[in-house]
Amino acid sequence: MSASAEPVSIELKDIVQEYPNKDGNGVLRVVDGISLTLSPGINMLLGPSGCGKSTILHMMGGVRPIGVPTPTSGTVLIDGKPCVEAHDDAVMVFQRYANRPDLTVEQNVAFPFRLAHWRARVSEAEARRRIEETLAAVGLAAHRKHLPSQLSGGQNQRVALARALVLRPRILLMDEPFGALDAQTRGEMQQLLVQIYEQNPCLVVFVTHDVTEALALGDRVIVLSTQPAKIADDFAILEPRPRSATWQRSTEAVRMEERILAQLHAASAGRASLRVSV
Amino acid sequence: MAETTSWNPYAPLSAQTTRTLGIGAVVAVLVLWALISATGLVSPNKLPAPWQVAKAFAYLAWDGENGRSLLLNATLWSVGRVVAAGALVVAIGIPIGVFMGASPKVNAALSPLVDPFRSAPVVALLPIMVMWFGIGEWMKVLFLFVGAVVYLIPMVRDAVRAVPQAYWISARDLGATPFEAVRHAVLPLAMPRIADAVIVGVSVMWTYITVAEYVNAREGLGQLIQNARRFSAMDQVFAGIIVIIAFALLSYQLMRYLKARMYPWETKL
Ligand SMILES: Nc1ncnc2c1ncn2[C@@H]1O[C@H](COP(=O)(O)OP(=O)(O)OP(=O)(O)O)[C@@H](O)[C@H]1O
Ligand SMILES: [Mg+2]
Repeated sequence: MSASAEPVSIELKDIVQEYPNKDGNGVLRVVDGISLTLSPGINMLLGPSGCGKSTILHMMGGVRPIGVPTPTSGTVLIDGKPCVEAHDDAVMVFQRYANRPDLTVEQNVAFPFRLAHWRARVSEAEARRRIEETLAAVGLAAHRKHLPSQLSGGQNQRVALARALVLRPRILLMDEPFGALDAQTRGEMQQLLVQIYEQNPCLVVFVTHDVTEALALGDRVIVLSTQPAKIADDFAILEPRPRSATWQRSTEAVRMEERILAQLHAASAGRASLRVSV
Repeated sequence: MAETTSWNPYAPLSAQTTRTLGIGAVVAVLVLWALISATGLVSPNKLPAPWQVAKAFAYLAWDGENGRSLLLNATLWSVGRVVAAGALVVAIGIPIGVFMGASPKVNAALSPLVDPFRSAPVVALLPIMVMWFGIGEWMKVLFLFVGAVVYLIPMVRDAVRAVPQAYWISARDLGATPFEAVRHAVLPLAMPRIADAVIVGVSVMWTYITVAEYVNAREGLGQLIQNARRFSAMDQVFAGIIVIIAFALLSYQLMRYLKARMYPWETKL
């Protein structure tokens, strides 16, 4: 299926998401009529805390929340076909890496091939080949026999990333994957992601809180407003990766940074006034 | 001065100190017991002296006159019953607990049937079990089974439910069916706590063994105590109780050891 000729695309059409209110009556509109077309590249998704970034990410071929229809209205199309549940071509990487503590690095990376779905689609030899390749690509070949508890946070996130990559996904959905890592490790992981992306370009949607991270990685930056979320800004970054420190300090980059921050501040200010008026 | 070690739950305690304090407490009780017996404050019919208990123990362990070991025979019977009931508890209780933990619907249906028995006087069920299953071996094993399984099932359920949802979601995202997500992502993480449930279950059975062997047992530690009481041989009663405690402790430590070996990755919270 990854051999399809057309480049992968995700299309959101008039997406509205409502969640039942915490007090039980009425609904909370979280996402309000978002339309968006994504194509291969690293797409950064930013927005104030709680604005609905994860909600939107989950719609793009991920697992949906339990007991809440997602989206409430609107359609999600992957390659032009409606997508209503976890999609074969899309794999999520979470901030909490969800590595099994009882399995070694290698077994964790091989985890998807325990599932009937992938056993039926990927031969054992092919699986072995992919596991080896991916372990090397994320720099864990020397740690293959280690347990997650013997690894650092960054290494654990490499395991989670490798477990996604063995499926050769055409869509990689990353929800603040490096949010819990220290600055230096985060930098290393960003480099790794760029490397992997360059070798195997796919459609990455990357949710982050970190403006610097967005500027370091993104081909495109989408900023959301909040309560309910709309698209507040959406622009491309043409600077090739890896992006030098010089570029990151350039007027172009600084202006982009200010542009994003202004949107984020406007969004949270809007929410504050909303609270007061209620 | 170093940080105080009293009113400080986090104070490290050396193995040496732990052992000294533990042994010291046991010795103190033995000394007190010996003093009470030596002064004749309490009649030996109520509280036999430690040396009388030791003598009774030696007699039970090896009766030279008849060339037999009453204790060994009784112990083998009791251990056999606990093992048989334990196998039943594991084979039936764990699957039920896992089903309840994995499915809120199954839990909603079964928990009113299981949970109340945790605080019910299981001992009061004995006459009913005698009516249903007679006074043979089945009744004893089933009684131990019921006594332990009502503790084990809720613990297994809670073990499954304690696994963070993130594991289930991540597995589902990778293409697991709901069953596979439970089987490959949730259950393996619940195993250490399921092992804890088995350990509690077996410990509970040791506390019920005397009750189980109350009715018409010709063998077993409970019967041995029962018999001794009938002949007012308090020293033998004490010896029998001490053996039961020793076996309960021994099996507890053994299971703890096995668990640590099987699940070395369990995070210590
Ligand atoms: N299953 C749910 N049921 C009810 N409300 C929900 C549910 N999931 C999310 N919400 C609410 O929807 C809003 C958006 O949540 P979401 O997790 O998508 O935001 P986010 O932008 O990812 O937040 P964060 O920056 O904290 O990760 C929040 O107010 C949240 O409380
Ligand atoms: Mg989120």
